[in-house]
Amino acid sequence: MATLEVRSLTKWYGPVRGVEEVSFALERGEIFGYLGPNGAGKTTTLRCIMGLLRPCAGEVLALGEPVQPGRATRHDRLGYLPGEFRLWPGIRARTSLRVLASLGGGDRAQSRRSELAERLELDLDRPVGELSKGNRQKVAVIYAFQHRPELLILDEPTSGLDPLVRQTVLDLIREAAHDGATVLLSSHDLSEVGAVCGRAAIVRAGRLVEMGPISKLIQHGEHRLRVWFVDATLAPPVPLGQLPGVRVIEQQPGQLHLAYQGACEAVLRWVAQFPVDRIATPQTSLEEAFIQYYKTEPPAALRVTTTAAVVAGTGSAPKGDQ
Amino acid sequence: MHERVPFPFALLRFWAGRILPMWAFIGLVIFLMQIAICAIVHDNASVQTFLKFLDVLPAFIKTALGGEMLRVDNVSGLILIGYQHPLVLFLYLLFAVGVPTTLLTGEVQKGAMELILSRPATKTQVYLCACLLTLAGMLALVLVMFLGTVTATHLYDFGQPIHLDLFFRIAVNGGLMACASASIALLAAGALAGRNRAVGATVAFLVLDYFAWIVAQWWPRLSFLKPATLFYYSSSPKLGYGWPVGNMGVLLVVILAGSIIGGVVWQRRDLPF
Repeated sequence: MATLEVRSLTKWYGPVRGVEEVSFALERGEIFGYLGPNGAGKTTTLRCIMGLLRPCAGEVLALGEPVQPGRATRHDRLGYLPGEFRLWPGIRARTSLRVLASLGGGDRAQSRRSELAERLELDLDRPVGELSKGNRQKVAVIYAFQHRPELLILDEPTSGLDPLVRQTVLDLIREAAHDGATVLLSSHDLSEVGAVCGRAAIVRAGRLVEMGPISKLIQHGEHRLRVWFVDATLAPPVPLGQLPGVRVIEQQPGQLHLAYQGACEAVLRWVAQFPVDRIATPQTSLEEAFIQYYKTEPPAALRVTTTAAVVAGTGSAPKGDQ
Repeated sequence: MHERVPFPFALLRFWAGRILPMWAFIGLVIFLMQIAICAIVHDNASVQTFLKFLDVLPAFIKTALGGEMLRVDNVSGLILIGYQHPLVLFLYLLFAVGVPTTLLTGEVQKGAMELILSRPATKTQVYLCACLLTLAGMLALVLVMFLGTVTATHLYDFGQPIHLDLFFRIAVNGGLMACASASIALLAAGALAGRNRAVGATVAFLVLDYFAWIVAQWWPRLSFLKPATLFYYSSSPKLGYGWPVGNMGVLLVVILAGSIIGGVVWQRRDLPF
């Protein structure tokens, strides 16, 4: 059974599309990246999962139970970190966190809260309004993690944090997943998604355009080829007309950096005409892959990179699954 | 199977602590106001000066402060000025409008509502917390007002018996009126986006209602408007000798209707986080 299952989720704000026909499922212990630029519909999806917004269509199952808007479905076992964390400014962070942890029962998070504050090097006895943006974000992280949730919904959890603290937060996410928690991580930061997530989905203009293991997402689109010629002065003109899908990234005497789509056979055949010293195929980064998704027109339907991995546990493939 | 979410008493306690300073300040001013009014009423010369002063002012001001009840020989009527004084009404309005809009729309605007609703607390429970604190706070304020009168009658000798049961009935009826005003604010806070809109809508409604009631009393041609105003039901002549059950029933219906409709709208709409 999936820990979190989103089925054909659709949310419109009047005539404006929030998300449409979004489907995915997360298994226990999985860290799932949810990528997209501003306004793509990431926060809308997360708020629908939390029952903070009422979807127009579709449904969400959190920890096996259908989420009912405004009914705090399984919230005792969910941890949520909103994209914009704002709390009572005049009240000490410790008090605010205690009040929020006490909702739905007594405060059982005291020791965990102190432990997290120590790890994040945060003074909880200062009013939230006096904290810097980074320290407020640390309060947000403690808010999400303090009650050891089984399902974590994180919207830009490392926003505004310095690299060291960011690493600590990523460690916290990994540890939570190691202990069996499931994490949905919405982020702009592709390096952190690449670092902690096993799978990811890319959302564009409210629609899911790609979903699959990170390694597969990276392979999407262009591939790179770097060639060093034996003759250090050689700079052969690339016959782009005869090599469809190929573009020159950089050319210097004795060196050529190409990008190509599809099979590399034609490119290699052309390169083989010249005395080649060595060839490298640099790894495309997730960031480069992400940018490519946004450079092209969005596909009409979702492309699932590895169908079996994506729909595992859902019982049915997402609509538009190819 | 949907699990029952326990009532968020922690939120109730937290919010109670947040509104307590405002409640205590308003309660203290209203309490002292009753004692001050009684101190003036107790001094016959001051009363005569005050009534002469009222006679030179436009008639509707005297109407607003008690009308024909304001006579030198009617001590109870004069003490009642403290129950209808514009400052007292303003303070009630401040609490009735300020609390629900601060707790509901205010928390949404400040961003805390998103965090509250991400914990085990349903939207209905959160609304109920605001509702309970508002209505209980209003009722407690009118009891403080009555307590001020009780204290003043022990401090001053008015030369005639003061029937405290009359003041208790008026306080309870006034409490229902205050709660009805608060339920309008709850409805606005539950239905409107933004604190300023909710405050504006409630204040506009109550001020119009108040002036409609005053004008309807003062101008016979508009007397038909009286039953359409909330204030009409808080000032029944029957209060002088018994409980105006009908009027109290109307106010109770307004309280229930405003609170319930506000709660239903709050539950069903998407909050503007």
